[in-house]
Amino acid sequence: MDIHFNKVIPIPLAGIQHSDKSIWGNSFSLKKGEKVMLNASSGKGKTTFTHTLAGIRKDFNGSIRFDQVEINSIPPEDWAIIRRLQMSFVFQDLQLFPQLTVEENLQLKNQLTDTFTSSELFQMLEALEIEDKWDVPCGILSMGQQQRVAIVRALSQPFDWLLMDEPFSHLDEANTQRSLALINRRANQINAGFILTTLGENHSFDFDRELNL
Amino acid sequence: MIKKILFSYQNKTQLIIAMIGSFLGFTFLVTSIHYLIRVNEFGEGEEILGNNTMIIQKKVSNFNSLKLAKTDFSEREIESIRKESFTETLEPILSNSFGVSLQTDSELVPYFRSDVFVQSIDNSFTRIDSDQWKWSPGDDFVPIVLPRDFLVMLNTFASAKGIPQVSDDLAKTIGFKFTLYNDEKKEWEKVKIVGFTNEVSAILVPSSFMEYGNKNFPTSVPAKTTQLMLTVKEGQFGEFENYLQKRSLESKENSMIVGKLKSVAGTLFSILIGISIITVFLAGLVLVQYAQLLISRNEYEIRTLLRQGYSPTKITKTILLYFLKVFAVISAASIIAFSLAKLYIDSLLIKGGIQVESGYTLLSILAVILAFGIYTIVNYFNAKRGVLKTQ
Repeated sequence: MDIHFNKVIPIPLAGIQHSDKSIWGNSFSLKKGEKVMLNASSGKGKTTFTHTLAGIRKDFNGSIRFDQVEINSIPPEDWAIIRRLQMSFVFQDLQLFPQLTVEENLQLKNQLTDTFTSSELFQMLEALEIEDKWDVPCGILSMGQQQRVAIVRALSQPFDWLLMDEPFSHLDEANTQRSLALINRRANQINAGFILTTLGENHSFDFDRELNL
Repeated sequence: MIKKILFSYQNKTQLIIAMIGSFLGFTFLVTSIHYLIRVNEFGEGEEILGNNTMIIQKKVSNFNSLKLAKTDFSEREIESIRKESFTETLEPILSNSFGVSLQTDSELVPYFRSDVFVQSIDNSFTRIDSDQWKWSPGDDFVPIVLPRDFLVMLNTFASAKGIPQVSDDLAKTIGFKFTLYNDEKKEWEKVKIVGFTNEVSAILVPSSFMEYGNKNFPTSVPAKTTQLMLTVKEGQFGEFENYLQKRSLESKENSMIVGKLKSVAGTLFSILIGISIITVFLAGLVLVQYAQLLISRNEYEIRTLLRQGYSPTKITKTILLYFLKVFAVISAASIIAFSLAKLYIDSLLIKGGIQVESGYTLLSILAVILAFGIYTIVNYFNAKRGVLKTQ
């Protein structure tokens, strides 16, 4: 699934002057399999960008298409299919269920598509060094641990695109590198792309493309 | 897992209060509908006359005896009663203007003969099988309905003669015959008893027989309409009784009492049904409000599930299924409570000498199913709207 932007400007940002390099107001396409970094300082609309692509926000001018389909015309049931099979997310506020254990949070996502076995999920936690939190409710984990759980959860489904909104903001460099490696491995495995929003840090990763706001 | 997220961490006090309210509403509803039906059925099938049907006549006073007042109804009087709001149907009762006597015609019973008074009423007022209730000249026998008092008198006579008394069933097998006569001629017709009545004092015959007798054995005394057969509209016995008093009319007291009791009990049960419907409605509102509260408290959870790829339909169905179980518990509990109440109430009625059908009435159970269905439909649309709003 390719993503096409045609002069998109979120309505709340319509009054602001955007540079020629900004994605807002310009037309471009993202090809399936591309690894993209979206670089911007705080308040420039990174979360707006993620939420707009996720179908959560519809308040924008211009048009966004998934292949040939205009996203504002996608009905709720079809969004569920897209979120289950084509597009996965790591939201900035993570959106885990604090009362559920790590395992339950992962299974809640994984059981929609039966992508992994329990032991495969456990191995991914091991790769991020939080396998000891398997039975622990997410609500009592540190933010860094929760971010890693959210990353593993986002990987537990088929996808064409993985959208991540500042997913390493609470991780040290070593954990960031481990997480990024896991994400990259999984994306390559299924020939998928990802979009990573950051505050300017590229984490020494060789992105295919860099976007600015 | 969705169930755990949505329902495990909720305060259920409001739900329990709404469930108790609905349970009481459902129980009152099923009980009141059941007994409203049973009250209306009471007395049915025991008598040949239909529901709320009775015979009225003018009160006999000294003026009548002195021939200063009439005991028969004029055409105008009949039309006036027919136009009253309590009247469902009204027909004059045909009486014989020919001479007729009834006598035993069997070796099993001693000879007995008596002049009798026969009447004919429209078959639409009775529960007699229309195939059995017909006669034409040349038929083997005339079907009749005998006043039960007549059989009692016959048994008293048998007892005095030292012969065995006869039951209802046996009486139907004994041969009787009518003698039709006037000053000029006589004729005999075999008779067969097809039923008994406590409501009519005369022997009832098919109208074709009455017409035959009046036509072929005319006497100098013209046929007069002294009694009317009237079916009172459901629940209008008060008005009917006032009318009778005002116009110096009378009806057989026991029919009136049963009718009045049915009228009063019917009104009481109708009020109870009204209260039950209001209770079910209010409790339903509380349940809907609880469902809305549940959705609003779970806004974060529903939103997150949707963003993880759960379909709105699946989440709506999960909420619906939860409430279906709640409604099923309410419905089952109310039917169990109704069954226990029914056992108790029926035993009280039996002790009081009132026999009611012991089975369940279909309509009362259907009322619970209908209430269950309405709750489910309202909850489905409520849940669907709530989930779709939480995007």
